[in-house]
Amino acid sequence: MASLTLDALTKRYGDNVVVKSVSLDIRDGEFLVLLGPSGCGKTTTLRMIAGFVPPSGGSMRIGDKDITTLPPWKRNAGLVFQSYALFPHMTVNENVGFGLDMRKVDRAEITSRVAEALRLVRLEGYGERYPRQLSGGQQQRVALARALVIRPDVLLLDEPLSNLDAKLRLEVRLEIRALQQQLGLTTVMVTHDQEEALTMADRLVVMSDGAVRQVGTQSDLYERPADLFVADFVGRSTMISGAVTAPGAFRSDGGLSLSCQPSAAAGPATIALRPERLTLGAAAQGLANHATGMVTFVSYLGALLDVHVRLNDTDHVVVQIPNRSDGHVPAVGDTIEVGWPASACLVFPREAA
Amino acid sequence: MATVSSRPVGEPGNLTAAGLLVPATIFVAIGLLVPIAILFRYSLNAFVPGQLMVDALTIDNYVKFFTDPFYLQVLWRTVRVAIACTVFCLLFGFPLAYVLARTQSPYKNLLVMAIVLPLFVGNAVRAAGWMVAFGSKGFVNSTLMAMGVISQPIEIMYTELAVVIGIIAVNLPFMVLTLQSVIEGIDRNVEEAAFSLGAPPMTMATRVLFPLALPGILAGVILTFILAMNAYATPVLLGGPKFQTMGPLVFSTFAQQNNWPFGGAVSFILMTATLILTVASSLLIRRRYA
Repeated sequence: MASLTLDALTKRYGDNVVVKSVSLDIRDGEFLVLLGPSGCGKTTTLRMIAGFVPPSGGSMRIGDKDITTLPPWKRNAGLVFQSYALFPHMTVNENVGFGLDMRKVDRAEITSRVAEALRLVRLEGYGERYPRQLSGGQQQRVALARALVIRPDVLLLDEPLSNLDAKLRLEVRLEIRALQQQLGLTTVMVTHDQEEALTMADRLVVMSDGAVRQVGTQSDLYERPADLFVADFVGRSTMISGAVTAPGAFRSDGGLSLSCQPSAAAGPATIALRPERLTLGAAAQGLANHATGMVTFVSYLGALLDVHVRLNDTDHVVVQIPNRSDGHVPAVGDTIEVGWPASACLVFPREAA
Repeated sequence: MATVSSRPVGEPGNLTAAGLLVPATIFVAIGLLVPIAILFRYSLNAFVPGQLMVDALTIDNYVKFFTDPFYLQVLWRTVRVAIACTVFCLLFGFPLAYVLARTQSPYKNLLVMAIVLPLFVGNAVRAAGWMVAFGSKGFVNSTLMAMGVISQPIEIMYTELAVVIGIIAVNLPFMVLTLQSVIEGIDRNVEEAAFSLGAPPMTMATRVLFPLALPGILAGVILTFILAMNAYATPVLLGGPKFQTMGPLVFSTFAQQNNWPFGGAVSFILMTATLILTVASSLLIRRRYA
């Protein structure tokens, strides 16, 4: 196990910069997730760490060893692919043992370490089967065992759960996380699924357009997003655009006067509101911000309800409330009171576009 | 009472399927099996000079072939040339097919066209081109002499080398196209998985790529080997009258010596040798990589 350091890692294809000077420190045993929409450069970053894409600039280190120009077969990185990429002509035992064979480990030790790795992913007794005789979830676990058995310095996961069905995905998610913690593996995972990212990571990196937008824990990203992109991408937000007119005072384009944290700088800005921070009905009136609006849409999510409320011609908010059978369920067309505290307003100055 | 058909509406019945197979079956039967049967019968007839063929039931023609050093020499030469051509087609073809299969280039279709293009020119025409290039005052010799690499023209025309080069040029596209389609079906991630597990490129190739490309390697080897064993125009034009191989021998026995029984026997020996060696090479490759 070791730490992994990326220093100003950059990838250019002609004039097209797909990874812009990414610097990250991944601690020994840390589970780091690269999160972002497709085309944000997260997969290219992972492939640079694995050694399949030569960086155009910057450097990478595992521990104290510079790996920037090392070919993939000398990096000792365990890699799990979205498509599993098992060797179809080899049995499960041969697949898992391949990396040890490459390291010239002797037969007896290969046998015992392969058995150990298969036990770890709960696939004892499957060693003689071929990948095509296994289900998707089992193939995925073989791929994981194959990556773990070589005792990699870093474990790299490239959307490892995307090909599994929804129920299995939840299970495997927790399994991978448990294994990673048990073995203390330094891990980098790439995903576009934020729920997956939030449940598995120690720390997350949000990327867009090849650049790192924010690095932080789940609560950092959710409660203190660095910019509008992160606020929008991680979790859900409704946006109200307008301007900060005085410390703590915000005027929306639709004409609402709102109070926000006094730290926000004056000028054009956008407020992001988390739906669960808003309150409906009588309880709203005691809060710093309140307005009257009309319910335009209610979506029923089981335990929760999403209530869309139009405040005026330009401003609308989404309010998430618990679905209690005894409570009043708002109906479309109802006039309703909406309120939220000043602290719920995440204010982002609008960049001059 | 109407009986209900057990067949879903729209699904063709067995009779329809059989009907569709009839034309091809008849064609193969009349066009291939019957002539082969007749040829085999001819090969057991006796040859009396002056008469075309005398009905008989004898293996004299086969005995004649296998006891005459000249004919054994021709057979051995044909096999040698075919094996050399096949091996070189595989060695040259695999890297080419790999690049073609893995390229992201927008000009990929053009590259494939460039591979196929030689097939647009007939074998005889191509061999004629080689004759011009290989002659003692041809392109190859005059270039090498002008560059000072050699002082005397080297003899390429009417040698085994000329024939092997000629046949490789004819067969290479078949090998490349066969391999390319199979390599394209191999997940690139599987190769990367091998790299990440510590396999350098050559190890990755022998442990992962070749075994997975085996069906293509087999198909390509069989195809090019059969074509090389039965080559006619290329050995005739580039090998000349002294460089006898089996294909031209069949023709000359039939057409020039009018010895149909012996011609039949030579044909059968060629066919059998091709079949045996093809099966043998398949088994060999399969044992090596599967």
